[in-house]
Amino acid sequence: MTALELRDVSKVYGVGPTEVHALRNVSLTVDAGVLVAVMGPSGSGKSTLLTIAGSLELPTTGEVIVEGTSLASMSRNERARLRRRSIGYVFQDFNLLAGLTSLENVALPLELDGVGAKRARVAGMQALEELGMSDRASRFPDELSGGERQRVAIARAVVGDRHLLLADEPSGALDSVNAEGVIRLVRAACQRGVAGVIVTHDAQLASWADRVVFLRDGRIVDQTMPPPGPESLLTPDARS
Amino acid sequence: MHDRPAEVIAAPSSSGPARRAIFRWSWRLFRREWRQQILVLALVALAVAGTTVGTALAYNAGQPRDATFGTANSSMTFSGPDNADVAAARKAFGTVERIDHQSIPVPGSPSRLDLRAQDPEGTYSRPTLRLVSGRFPNGGAEVAMTASAATTFGVRIGGHLDVNGHARRLVGIVENPLDLNDEFALVAPGQADPPAQVAILFEASDHAVNAFQPSVHATSVATRGTLDTTLAATVVLALETIGLLFVGLVAAAGFTVMAQRRLRALGMLGALGATDRHIRSAMVANGAVVGVVGSVTGAVTGLVAWVALTPKFEDLVKHRIARFHLPWWAIVVAIVLATVTSIAAAWWPARSAARASIVAALSGRPSPQKPAHRFAGAGGVFLAIGVACLAFAHQDTPKPALIIGGTIATTFGMLFLGPLFIRMLAMLGRRAPIMVRLAVRDLARYQARSAAALGAISLALGIAATVAISAAAAAVPEAATNLPANQAIAYLEPATGLGEDTNAVQVMSSADVAKLAAKVSALAASLHAHTVLPLSVAINPSSPTVSVDPAQLNASPNASGGSVSIRRVVGGSAAPGAILIQIPASLGRVTIISNGAQSGFQISDQVPLYVATPAVLHRYGIKADQIAKTTDIITSRTDLHGLVVHAPPRDDGAGVRRGPEQWHPTIQHIRFSTDASHTSDPTTLVTVHALQHFGLKAVQAAWLIETPRPLTAIQISAAQHAAAIAGFTVETHQSRPSNARLRDGATLIGLLLALGVLAMTVGLIRSETANDLRTLAATGASSMARRSLTGATAGALALLGALLGTGGAYVALVAWHRRDLHPLTRVPYLNLATILVGLPIIAISAGWLLSGREPAAVGHQPLE
Repeated sequence: MTALELRDVSKVYGVGPTEVHALRNVSLTVDAGVLVAVMGPSGSGKSTLLTIAGSLELPTTGEVIVEGTSLASMSRNERARLRRRSIGYVFQDFNLLAGLTSLENVALPLELDGVGAKRARVAGMQALEELGMSDRASRFPDELSGGERQRVAIARAVVGDRHLLLADEPSGALDSVNAEGVIRLVRAACQRGVAGVIVTHDAQLASWADRVVFLRDGRIVDQTMPPPGPESLLTPDARS
Repeated sequence: MHDRPAEVIAAPSSSGPARRAIFRWSWRLFRREWRQQILVLALVALAVAGTTVGTALAYNAGQPRDATFGTANSSMTFSGPDNADVAAARKAFGTVERIDHQSIPVPGSPSRLDLRAQDPEGTYSRPTLRLVSGRFPNGGAEVAMTASAATTFGVRIGGHLDVNGHARRLVGIVENPLDLNDEFALVAPGQADPPAQVAILFEASDHAVNAFQPSVHATSVATRGTLDTTLAATVVLALETIGLLFVGLVAAAGFTVMAQRRLRALGMLGALGATDRHIRSAMVANGAVVGVVGSVTGAVTGLVAWVALTPKFEDLVKHRIARFHLPWWAIVVAIVLATVTSIAAAWWPARSAARASIVAALSGRPSPQKPAHRFAGAGGVFLAIGVACLAFAHQDTPKPALIIGGTIATTFGMLFLGPLFIRMLAMLGRRAPIMVRLAVRDLARYQARSAAALGAISLALGIAATVAISAAAAAVPEAATNLPANQAIAYLEPATGLGEDTNAVQVMSSADVAKLAAKVSALAASLHAHTVLPLSVAINPSSPTVSVDPAQLNASPNASGGSVSIRRVVGGSAAPGAILIQIPASLGRVTIISNGAQSGFQISDQVPLYVATPAVLHRYGIKADQIAKTTDIITSRTDLHGLVVHAPPRDDGAGVRRGPEQWHPTIQHIRFSTDASHTSDPTTLVTVHALQHFGLKAVQAAWLIETPRPLTAIQISAAQHAAAIAGFTVETHQSRPSNARLRDGATLIGLLLALGVLAMTVGLIRSETANDLRTLAATGASSMARRSLTGATAGALALLGALLGTGGAYVALVAWHRRDLHPLTRVPYLNLATILVGLPIIAISAGWLLSGREPAAVGHQPLE
């Protein structure tokens, strides 16, 4: 099943002399359970690809289809609902809300979607438990380490019934040990059927993906299928 | 996926959990960031507190009821002990309360004090009497006085004083709580015998009052009008409007900055799937929390301040105020509206944040600014509407709707013009040093928040400037007082004060005059006077000399009843102990139509008319050849359009007295070299020509004493005491109520409010540009550069706010006074200089001093 499909997507910022083509005719398909890594130099359009895929902004031309539905036909509120229910985001800066505890941060998308606080927290706690963070549930973000914050962010991204996980340099602010921990979690989520797109500069992390897409000047210049790599190191539990 | 709880997947429709989650986050943020919001909170609380105190003061400022009526609705005054009329009134109106009046001469002063025989438990007059200390008088040997009267007479409780020839013991200090300016002495009912006047209070319809036919002794009939609450309500509403506008602007400035601070968090919410409504709710909830906390805190603070400051306000409004006699409806409305205003102020930046691109919000990039000229157009329209409303709000009676509408529209006009002025400032700063340039450009870049802050600063300073300018416009010119503070006039008048009331001059022999002149010289020496100028008045030698019984004169009422005194002249020959008086030509009551006639003013006044003796002419630098041969009167005053002198009554030779006659003199205006513009100054002089033409005679009447320094209260008291012993009276400077304290107070409050808004705004704007500061630090900028940047930001905002506030105040006041702009020519230079120059200097200095700390190391801005 295709979770995400980009058809001839282009994105232009600015007008006239300030015009910048961030993406040019990009087409990409990500199926459920597949992790795609996007690599490329700075300014190649990686983050723009992710924000368009995540419905945070609309393409100038082309079509984005998430779970079989085109974003172009959706209103702002419908796209917001799509993000609440289907798309999980992980940012380099964690972007946890400082005023909420770890559990509340994780449960927030569900509560925004109208799920009762109690049920949302049960689901949030389950997501934290899966990531080994249940003992940090009542901590505020500024009481957590960088790795812990990113794990909470991943929990928030996968809580509920999300089918698409988008991660923009999720390990950019972490040391190598924590970075590997994070990619393991993303990989594990994909093993559970979530389609994942991860933007990274790190070839080592990209090697965890099922497919690597290379971007340059807004175009996909190459796609590769990395050999079985660190993924093989996953424990049987993680694989399942 | 199989691990997910299935029930979570269902698509719920309830928005309650989302609202709760958003509100929880907002509340947590408020708790975490209360320090950042403390200035917004404090300013909202301050505005509500000020509004509460202001509305309470406006509500209580007017007289609760006419201070002479008590609870009655009508009064009637009879001259003398008119028992028949009082009995007739009692029969006609039922319950009637009687108050007898005499007057007591104030030793050494031309003034007199009202003596009342009044029942403290009187049916109607009870609210007009309050015992301050001691007790009410009983019997014929006791008296109570107001505190200032007791001070004037130099007597304390337990002491004795002579009241019209009767020794009485002071047993209490009293006051009229409805009129603290009311100075009087109180005796028990029936103890002012015989009364010079009898006042009765009663309840009756207008028809009944009109139908009542008193005898000729009835001197006045009055009916209390209904209390006009329109003005008080207008002031209350106008104050609330201004207070709420201030709350709105402060909150808008604060919340705009808060929205920018939270932009990334709000973007994060959007990325998580929050709708625009959710994002707006997050900011609006914060506005609600700040509004509720700020307005309730402000109202409580205002009430506490009101209770604490009530004694000060009683001095201001000159009547006692019940602490909890408050416009509760207005206070509750203020709390509710302040909360609503705060929410509304949060809504606009919330809307902008919700509409912003999520990607831009996540990266912390503010939305692009709208062109300033769009706001300027709206500002011009609002300003025009506001000016038009204010111009037509003050026709015959104030129109509350136009006043409030005009205030709001003018404020909005200035607010919308703010971005244009900020842009202009940025353009003007193009050639300024780099830090100043950066500061004014930042103001222009962040115009959304700097314009709201500028609006709040302008409003605070605009109110201060409006009060200062209005107070200066309404101020009584110094020349309208009786004498300069360094002058006194010693009058050759009987100690009864008769001269002032009857236009009389005491007949004295040359030897007696010489003796008194010596005593006046001694008095002048004790005051270190450098000038003692003899003043003469003109009398008609053929007018009859009359004798007056001092005891009866003592029973005459106070200064307003001059005609009554005349009727008490005993006869043409001096009785034993009587005082001989002669009615001079000089002191006739005249009517002045002042130059203010064009302003709609008409002043009735009495002009002292002295003889233009060589000494007087020399003193004022007037040469004899300056005076035309046919001139009767010379004057330095320009406000004597139609001077009418009442000549003394003359005997027609057949034993019939005629008069008073009106004399229309030939008046010549001459510029006096020395200031002679006060009402008791010898500003109007009868010439030798007039003396000869009318057969008048100059007699010594007074001495003008001038000292190098203003006379102190002790000197004045000593002079009046000496005059009382010597048998003359002394007039000194009588200060008018000054509104200088009001001007200064308003300026100070305006400055403090503006500084508060500046502290909030500059602090928040500079925290927004923390990255710039870090970049500056990284590029080697010294603390001097950082200080310059913050100082210039604060100074630029302060200067713009002062210019807009003062300009707006003048625009509004010109519209208000459009019929007569003359009062606006009295400019409160010091107050305006404080606003226009002092505030920017203070702002620059404070910004300079408080911004030396090096910013934290270059790093990523955390998501908040």
